[in-house]
Amino acid sequence: MAYPNLLKLVYRNIKVNTDYGTLIILIGLPAMYLVFFGYGFQSIVSGEGPGNSYLPFLTPGIMAFQTVMAGTVGGSMLWADRRYGMLAQLLVGPFTRLQYLLGIMLTAVMFGFAGAAVMLVGAYLLIGTVSIGFVGALVIIVAILAGSIFFGSLMLVLSALLKSNNAYNSVQVLIIFVVNFASTVFYPLSPKLPVALQVLFDINPLTYVANVVRDGYSGAVAVGDAYQIAGLVAVTLVFLFLAVRSYMRSGVSFS
Amino acid sequence: MSRVSRSDQTVIRVEGLEHTYDGKAFALKGVGFEVKKGEVFGLLGKNGAGKSTLIKILTTLIRPTEGTVTILGMEPSKDGPKIRKRIGVVQQDESFDFTTVQGNFDIYGVLWNVPKEERVRRREELLKRFGLEDIRKKRAFDLSGGQKRRVQVAREMMHDVDILFLDEPTVGLDVIMRRQLLDFVREDVKKGLTVVFTTHNLEEADYLCDRVAVIDSGRILVMDTVDNLKNMYKGKKTIELTVESSGAERFYERLATTLGTQANLKRESESAAVLSDNPKETLAAILGVAKETGAQIEWLSVRKDTLEDVFIDSVSRENVG
Repeated sequence: MAYPNLLKLVYRNIKVNTDYGTLIILIGLPAMYLVFFGYGFQSIVSGEGPGNSYLPFLTPGIMAFQTVMAGTVGGSMLWADRRYGMLAQLLVGPFTRLQYLLGIMLTAVMFGFAGAAVMLVGAYLLIGTVSIGFVGALVIIVAILAGSIFFGSLMLVLSALLKSNNAYNSVQVLIIFVVNFASTVFYPLSPKLPVALQVLFDINPLTYVANVVRDGYSGAVAVGDAYQIAGLVAVTLVFLFLAVRSYMRSGVSFS
Repeated sequence: MSRVSRSDQTVIRVEGLEHTYDGKAFALKGVGFEVKKGEVFGLLGKNGAGKSTLIKILTTLIRPTEGTVTILGMEPSKDGPKIRKRIGVVQQDESFDFTTVQGNFDIYGVLWNVPKEERVRRREELLKRFGLEDIRKKRAFDLSGGQKRRVQVAREMMHDVDILFLDEPTVGLDVIMRRQLLDFVREDVKKGLTVVFTTHNLEEADYLCDRVAVIDSGRILVMDTVDNLKNMYKGKKTIELTVESSGAERFYERLATTLGTQANLKRESESAAVLSDNPKETLAAILGVAKETGAQIEWLSVRKDTLEDVFIDSVSRENVG
């Protein structure tokens, strides 16, 4: 049976990127946040989330954070394929440039959903109960989908533009740090924060992914979530366009 | 004489091909040739001659600035994916997935739609044939240069191809490994595979190719069967010499004047190769100039015509012209 090219590329991406190192980064790091931050801040945080417990507040945040990790893996795929010759090799095979890009994007989305699901299971084991309704599940799915594509696009732009290993890794770590901690993943946006930080929270797409996933998780979906999703989708489309453009213009290898 | 029986079917046709990367300097200029089915066509040239650019165009990776290319009756600009389904490419740079040797074969089989049973059969056959069985569980990036090259060539045979492009596949290999690799390719050529092979190694071109195009500065300088090219130089001999450095400049200036058009002198620093129709006279001229200028000849040898002479002669004529 002949499988579509896109599925073959996704199979290859998953096969190549499910080594221990990638899995530790993809699942282990967020899981550690969940456990260490979840229990560590439990004693000093109260009044956030259902049951006045920090873990139910943190869980949807970490689920949202998985979209950043998925995007990182997506960007790394392109970077490694350019660096180690596989992009050129695949493009002299039966694949088009666009199929290759879509293959990476679809893989990033799958990693985003898989990571979020694992965090959900982890939360169930830690909290003992997780209850998500149909509407909640739906908005979570849309937010994870848009978030994975957004961060996948962002990382693809980086990997198309940066040629040095050090530069790519440094910029990636910096982005992950800023995006992660200047968002509502770990704490709510407080009016007591300095204005500059509030602005950073407001322009950070992860804030909206985290907000929507949190509302879906806690059964508090409201009209405001629709606006947040709309904004997220709009920004995602812009970055997807930029990713396609920079990728199409970039060389197939660094040599 | 051709090593294999070829058909008259043209599988590659290139006409008036030109390519420039920056709009100014030409990487390829006025390149044209045809390759018949079952033929091993060699592109012979030094580094930077334009061989890899030509391969990239033929394998649809880049579009030429000018000219037409037809591969298996199709135009790369219109039918890229269809062409790529029928070609195999071993690129100059290494290219592996971050997995084991066996994993690389398996993934390649999936990408090329080889059914599972056939995939396993081919993988095992290729691992055995290319002597890779013992290293099948090793990660591809941990292999030695020779092992990597064998994996790259063998992997390309996981799927059916009509034309195999080999872009300097033997770079970095020792003599034995190089010969083994060429023999692997020759086996498949016997079954009717068409091969386009780039190299700057003349012995390899001689060993593997039916026809050779000598390419330099993006232009094809000479193109014919290996035997015809050698016949063109039948009776000619190459005198190679090295002169002590202090007197080299004066010696070679005088020698060039003395030889005139009688022989083709190609100089590189203190050494030179002189291709001559009349080696006795040329040798006498060399010794005469050495005596006259007081230059000390450190090393001198006379050898029969080889493909190397064709290469040196055509490239040096081009440079003079």
